[in-house]
Amino acid sequence: MYSIVEHEVLAPRVHRLRVQAPVVAEKAKPGQFVILIIDEKGERVPFTISDWDSEAGTVDFVFIEVGKTTQQLATMQPGDQLLSFIGPLGRPAEVGQFGHVVSVLSGYGIAAMVPILKALKDNGNTLTTIVQAPDQDRLFGQKPLEELSDTLILALGTQGDGMMESTTVAMRKLLNQHPKRRIDRVIAMCSLCLMRVLSEMTRPYAIKTMVHLTPVMVDGTGMCGACRLSVGRTNRFACVHGPEFDGHEVDGWEVLMARRCTYADESILQQGFQCRGCSQW
Amino acid sequence: INLNRVEMPKQSEHERRHNFDEVALGYTWELAKEEASRCIQCKKRPCQQGCPVNIDIPDFIAALQREDVEEAARILKRKTSLPGVCGRVCPQELQCENACTLNKKGAPVAIGRLERFIADWERTQGAPTMPEMAPSTGKKVAVVGSGPSGLTVASDLAILGHQVVLFEALHVAGGVLMYGIPQFRLPKEIVQREVQYVQSLGVDLRLNTVIGINYSLDELLRTDYDAVYLAPGAGLPKFLGVPGENLNMVYSANEFLTRTNLMKAYRYPEYATPIKMGKKVAVIGGGNVAMDAARCAVRLGAQEVYVIYRRTRAEMPARLEEVENAEEEGIEFHFLCNPTAFLSDGRNNVAAMELIRMKLTEPDESGRRRPVPIPGSEYILDVDTVVVSLGTSPNPLIPSTTPDLNVTRWGTVVTDERGRTSKARVWAGGDIVSGGATVISAMGEGRIAAASMHEFLSNGQKKIIPPSPATDDPKTL
Ligand SMILES: Cc1cc2nc3c(=O)[nH]c(=O)nc-3n(C[C@H](O)[C@H](O)[C@H](O)COP(=O)(O)OP(=O)(O)OC[C@H]3O[C@@H](n4cnc5c(N)ncnc54)[C@H](O)[C@@H]3O)c2cc1C
Ligand SMILES: Cc1cc2nc3c(=O)[nH]c(=O)nc-3n(C[C@H](O)[C@H](O)[C@H](O)COP(=O)(O)OP(=O)(O)OC[C@H]3O[C@@H](n4cnc5c(N)ncnc54)[C@H](O)[C@@H]3O)c2cc1C
Ligand code: SF4
Ligand code: SF4
Ligand code: FES
Repeated sequence: MYSIVEHEVLAPRVHRLRVQAPVVAEKAKPGQFVILIIDEKGERVPFTISDWDSEAGTVDFVFIEVGKTTQQLATMQPGDQLLSFIGPLGRPAEVGQFGHVVSVLSGYGIAAMVPILKALKDNGNTLTTIVQAPDQDRLFGQKPLEELSDTLILALGTQGDGMMESTTVAMRKLLNQHPKRRIDRVIAMCSLCLMRVLSEMTRPYAIKTMVHLTPVMVDGTGMCGACRLSVGRTNRFACVHGPEFDGHEVDGWEVLMARRCTYADESILQQGFQCRGCSQW
Repeated sequence: INLNRVEMPKQSEHERRHNFDEVALGYTWELAKEEASRCIQCKKRPCQQGCPVNIDIPDFIAALQREDVEEAARILKRKTSLPGVCGRVCPQELQCENACTLNKKGAPVAIGRLERFIADWERTQGAPTMPEMAPSTGKKVAVVGSGPSGLTVASDLAILGHQVVLFEALHVAGGVLMYGIPQFRLPKEIVQREVQYVQSLGVDLRLNTVIGINYSLDELLRTDYDAVYLAPGAGLPKFLGVPGENLNMVYSANEFLTRTNLMKAYRYPEYATPIKMGKKVAVIGGGNVAMDAARCAVRLGAQEVYVIYRRTRAEMPARLEEVENAEEEGIEFHFLCNPTAFLSDGRNNVAAMELIRMKLTEPDESGRRRPVPIPGSEYILDVDTVVVSLGTSPNPLIPSTTPDLNVTRWGTVVTDERGRTSKARVWAGGDIVSGGATVISAMGEGRIAAASMHEFLSNGQKKIIPPSPATDDPKTL
């Protein structure tokens, strides 16, 4: 069993949990994730590690209430136990010395990207961060981003298309300054549709664009194939070969989005999921 | 001699299509006695030679004939720690029962069913017989993977006095017995009972721990452990590699079975894991895995279930008993055809598949008839769910994080006949070595490796570096 040691509500429907899991904390790297199960009847559900302390043996993650498991997690308190907590899974994000890195975050990505940004900062990169949120009230986790970023851009907009637009406008402005104000790399941890749009925006500029993909997963260790997707015309498993991939090489976006939404009709709460153009709606 | 093999009661076809309860109901004591009485106690013990773990079959049947079930259980336990499992899922028709003298007359003694009876009797009649434990040796062993192979090594070495830590990546121990083979063929309570037995021997089971991620093999060897047994199985799903295979509602058998069996999606929403299921389901493949997937699909409410296999019924690798069960449950078999593409409904869900008809070539030197496509014979079959059940390959995680572990080009770990790998102090067995075989062979290899490990561990301070095996051929493929 894995004890919850902290529970913080960051914004409406957004929570941070800290879990006692020394084996996970010992090896965690930026961009990796865990799979947890709440209890004997629970589902295996993946979350990106947003912070960890290998000395205290704790691991943090931030989640948004969207369905059954996340709603149940939202009710859990310090002292409560999780049945299972496996990680760190997936390959760590690439955090080399690139130069000027633009990152795009929304949802839980706002918190989950922080370890990646820290490592990039430590490696001497210049960071421009675009944060997408519906409005100021629902924005969270701004402080660490302010500290880490050389430039922080808030892209606020209404749910759905308006939100996406505010981000792409900001990105377009940055791209217009390229290569005068050179962009060496883009990293995105946001909705699948936005990551796809961003990859298309940067493609003509040949700016390497890394996306953090989140297909539905079951085991998270390369056994079930649920998370498979086509990258560079080969089948890859997001849980072992990803979740970070080169967005210009991902060739099955539509299939990926459809697969991601297999269970979306069951209990979906998050309106933002119902994006325009998605084959599932 | 009596050639009236006693049938085992089963749930009716009609009833079992709607539940996940065990199909075969097992012998009663009366039936077991009657079947046991058919054994003629052959001096040469051909049945025993047919069993990969050499169970003393004539002896346990003799005990049944004497009505001493307890003694029968003890005899069984000498050679198998999983009698309740093997009695249910062993391909007996190819092994012990195939070798039985009475098989010449087409009615072998139902050894598997008797084994199952004894195991169930022991399970329901109180505490299992505990083996005698050797005093502690002070040696520590890591076993990686808690499938039948890992469980066997863990219990054997624990009984011999070694301290055993059993690492399992999933949140439940048992391997394929838990996540693959369905409840209606192997109730999970039976597997968990065996796991508890292994734990009762003092084995320290560490769930949720992935070797290659949480600890590398080298770390295990460098830190606490004197020796390691690798049994991570063959869990990497194979795909056809045809267009459209990633469409929504195309499952790998592993995902389909894991959701259904391990995560109990058939009890959704009581259990939180859902499984989406259409009306017309195609299962691709002809092995046990395909039968299991097809029969799960029936129980999950599919209206039509097709098994698509590129050879004929005669070549199907699945156990005959399971093929017959599947047929009784209304599953339709399509032989001599193979998918060439999966087609979308326009929203990236699978809506149909294109198949090509196959024919078998004349037998080649090895006597095998290969399936080849008949050009121009493509046709379309409407389906809304597909389960690709082509089998699995060895898990690459440990080999890929252990550069000096010899593997074949199929990804199987190379061992000698005693289970020793190319790496000092490391043994391996089960599907990671065979590439995918049976529960009993995974157990058998474990047994042999455990004996070899024990020899090594008992050899005082002398450090014996096992020689590196030379072969590059997987034992089976
Ligand atoms: C690698 C990875 C990292 C993730 N990191 C985070 C994170 O840090 N914070 C966060 O809030 N969310 C994260 N997610 C998404 C998170 O797993 C889902 O929001 C969660 O599974 C929803 O579960 P639920 O029972 O509450 O909702 P459900 O009602 O079950 O599902 C709602 C939607 O969530 C998605 N989903 C459901 N089950 C899974 C699953 N097993 N795997 C992936 N997606 C699923 C589906 O799109 C589904 O439509 C991550 C997903 C992946 C694959
Ligand atoms: C659907 C299906 C039906 C079958 N039906 C039959 C049948 O009827 N009769 C029969 O005899 N055989 C059958 N088989 C085959 C049989 O189940 C296998 O041959 C047998 O289970 C192999 O045992 P194993 O111990 O080698 O591996 P597994 O049973 O595969 O167990 C390996 C375990 O190791 C764990 N693991 C993997 N990697 C790691 C890691 N890095 N760290 C920690 N743990 C790890 C896995 O999670 C798993 O629990 C079937 C197989 C399947 C898939
Ligand atoms: S273990 Fe399998 S092969 Fe051996 S006697 Fe039992 S059923 Fe037969
Ligand atoms: S071969 Fe058959 S009849 Fe002979 S001892 Fe074995 S089980 Fe009995
Ligand atoms: S989640 Fe099962 S293979 Fe990736």
